[in-house]
Amino acid sequence: MNGVGLHKKLEENTGLLIFGILLVSAIGGLVQILPSLFQDSLMTPGENTRVYAPLELVGRDLYIREACSTCHSQQIRSILAEVERYGPYSRSSEFVYDRPFLWGSKRTGPDLHRIGGKYTDVWHEIHLTDPRAVVPDSIMPAYPWLAEREAGADGDIVAKLTALRTLGHPYTDEDIAGADAALEGMTELDAIIAYLQMLGTAFGREEAP
Amino acid sequence: MELWPRFADGQHLFARMKSTELSPALIIRLLFQPRAVFDELSTTRPSAYSVFFRLALWIGVVPPIFAFVGASLFGWRLGAVEPIFFPTGVLVAISVAYFLTLLFGFVSSAIVSQWMASTYGARHSLGIHFAMVTVVGAPLAVGSIIHLFPHVFINILVLVPTLIWSMYLLYRGLPVVLQTTPERGMLMASSLIGYLLVAAVSLLGITVVLWGQGIGPRVGI
Amino acid sequence: MSETAEYYRDRVVTALVMFSIIWAVLGMLAGVYVAAELVWPQLDFGQPWLSYGRLRTLHTNGIVFGFGVSALMATAFYSVQRTSHVPLFAPRLAWVVCYAWQLVVLVGGISLLMGVNASKEYAELEWPFDIAITLAWVGFAVVFFGTIATRRIKPIYVSNWFYGGLIIVIAMLHIVNSLAIPVTLTKSYSLFPGAQDAIVQWWYGHNAVGFLLTGGFLGMMYYFLPKQAERPIWSYRLSIVAFWAFTYSYIWAGPHHLHYNAIPEWVQSLGMVMSLILLAPSWATMINGIMTVSTASEKLKTDPALKFIVLALAFYGLATFEGPMMAIRSVNVISHFTEWTIGHVHSGALGWNALITFGTFYFMVPRLAGRPLHSVKLANIHFWLALAGVMLYILAMWGAGVSQGLLWLSLDELGELRFSFTDIMASTAPYYLLRLVGGTIFLAGAVLMAFNLYMTMAGQATVRVSPPSVAAGEAAA
Repeated sequence: MNGVGLHKKLEENTGLLIFGILLVSAIGGLVQILPSLFQDSLMTPGENTRVYAPLELVGRDLYIREACSTCHSQQIRSILAEVERYGPYSRSSEFVYDRPFLWGSKRTGPDLHRIGGKYTDVWHEIHLTDPRAVVPDSIMPAYPWLAEREAGADGDIVAKLTALRTLGHPYTDEDIAGADAALEGMTELDAIIAYLQMLGTAFGREEAP
Repeated sequence: MELWPRFADGQHLFARMKSTELSPALIIRLLFQPRAVFDELSTTRPSAYSVFFRLALWIGVVPPIFAFVGASLFGWRLGAVEPIFFPTGVLVAISVAYFLTLLFGFVSSAIVSQWMASTYGARHSLGIHFAMVTVVGAPLAVGSIIHLFPHVFINILVLVPTLIWSMYLLYRGLPVVLQTTPERGMLMASSLIGYLLVAAVSLLGITVVLWGQGIGPRVGI
Repeated sequence: MSETAEYYRDRVVTALVMFSIIWAVLGMLAGVYVAAELVWPQLDFGQPWLSYGRLRTLHTNGIVFGFGVSALMATAFYSVQRTSHVPLFAPRLAWVVCYAWQLVVLVGGISLLMGVNASKEYAELEWPFDIAITLAWVGFAVVFFGTIATRRIKPIYVSNWFYGGLIIVIAMLHIVNSLAIPVTLTKSYSLFPGAQDAIVQWWYGHNAVGFLLTGGFLGMMYYFLPKQAERPIWSYRLSIVAFWAFTYSYIWAGPHHLHYNAIPEWVQSLGMVMSLILLAPSWATMINGIMTVSTASEKLKTDPALKFIVLALAFYGLATFEGPMMAIRSVNVISHFTEWTIGHVHSGALGWNALITFGTFYFMVPRLAGRPLHSVKLANIHFWLALAGVMLYILAMWGAGVSQGLLWLSLDELGELRFSFTDIMASTAPYYLLRLVGGTIFLAGAVLMAFNLYMTMAGQATVRVSPPSVAAGEAAA
């Protein structure tokens, strides 16, 4: 049977056509995506990579809620100017506790992967509440509501840590038991700053890029 | 399809060096009475040679001259950052490259247009395609006076509306000048715009690859 | 309607077209608003739901899933009946799919404004919506493939393969990429961590663009273009080859979104090579489309619909060329993270998807309403607004993107960074203004279309004709 004959069959049989499309489109995924899901180097944490503390985790989920990643990447590419501007380039071992990943695809604002420790907490407080107070040309939205809400208001932090432990993040029983207490008296603003201040710190600034 | 353009009677591109009715005055009138100019063009039989050497070449040289003068007087302004000045030698090189790019764009569009002509039942002589591309592109040459102040944004602000005007002229003028039906002229104009968009984006791509190779401004890759 | 006679089930198509137009206007309005926020950040008035991040997510979802998918469902239901010579299979289910989908987009959109966000691009809706999407999608598949399975002519027409590819591949991508552990009703954690999540996400993200915004809309083209040109497809064999090459090679190209990122080098290189190969089937299809219209001689009418479709093909040519070019590492290193990407997306979304959909609606709505278009003149004005809007948008973003790419990476003689990030950001402001103007012009055109098509529809009560019976159905191609 030649190619045209074979195709005539596909063309006249709904089931075969569905199967053919599924088969042909799955090959790429199987060869390219599947192996990377079993590649150890993408799953092994770096020496200093650690899980997010409860307050940082809340901060990260707020970063997701406000969709910060639409404008801020967390991925320093391995090119000269970028290392000069932002710090050591990003390693896959730094992201193993990131669910979902927040690398982003657009830099309307600067990259944030190594923002941790670059500014004081007070600077972040002012900047998040009124960006133009510290950066006159900034076009970042203001987030005044962060300071008005409690970090633990949703009451789901234990459920979050438990879910992450199911996925293999090494939280201890004590971590989970003390999670609610860790959020006591903290605002959403405190949480997001805690997250920003730990970003990228797993890889020391003094280490070579 | 034949890549090297020939006339319908088999004569070669530069074999016909007859004079033409296409004059610089036509370009000036185009700005005010496009329809009349198109009608007039449709009855002429300009030769590719004369359109190219008497008209296109001179129109094409205008933007690079403006760009050269502007860049040496005011420097390139890419927005809020301070203007960038280049040594004269570099400016000459850039202007020449600009001129050659314009010429390539002009000649290639005319040849692509001629290549498409048979598909859309349009006039086939290369001269008329040269003439059409010239008159359609003329507003851009006039608009390029803004190069005298090479602030990128202001240039885009002026040249984009000019470009849209040129596209409008293309849609309007093509069926008249090339003597085809309005519907097929519309199809052909869209195909030409497709070619021009791809050519433009290729130019962008080539430019940034050159930067990455160390030609042009210094980038840290 | 008589029970015995067979009719094409077009009411559900009409409903989907209307929803699609509503989402187009709302989604573009949200887009114009976020574009304005980039010029005047105070425009969110301190309201969380008006905040850029949330509204921008609503814009992309509203356009892709509201406008895009509704249009694809409408045209798929319209064309599959006519190419199979049977009425829609399980028409009640089709209505369920229609309303379920609108509900997902509406409630999902509200959830995005509330800050419920899974953060994966083009898959931001949280897990309850993911399940709802899957169920609605299965319904879509049953109606579509059911209609094909009960068809009265032997061959399955090529437009249906593209719609079929859309349904099957999007289902596969959606299910894998949405795998997550739910924590609460509004929060889940991805099954994949970090770099793996990135690879899976861009396998999804790139191919959602591929099979929905490219493949699905090619299905639209393969039915409506020959219909309007009153010509068969220029080369049926080319369409076969291009379809399989497209389906096979598109799926590999996702990692070009992650050049120089923290993923294995071989994945990046493979993604780049396959992206370049992809140009061949993409352009083969474009050539097939262009040649189909250009061989149509005197039959060709001055039809505003056809204008849109032909211009859409030109922008399709641009976008499918620009994409592989930007997948080359040495271009990508400059273009990545800049506005160039946004410009590229919009040359596809505005230039290709929106224009071909507008053209299709201008063709379809008069036929659904049983009366001519309310105003051809308005449609022609719309054409010029659309062309001017998309050109302004693309050129503004090219200018902004190339400047950003260059200035971010610029070094001085000492090898130090030349410009601060804030200076570069400030220099982008004028381009944002220009983009806002372009977007507004495009939106104005879409509003004109909505009015024009509404007036066309509104007349149908008085001039109503019965939907064409199957017996009078047209030939496949």
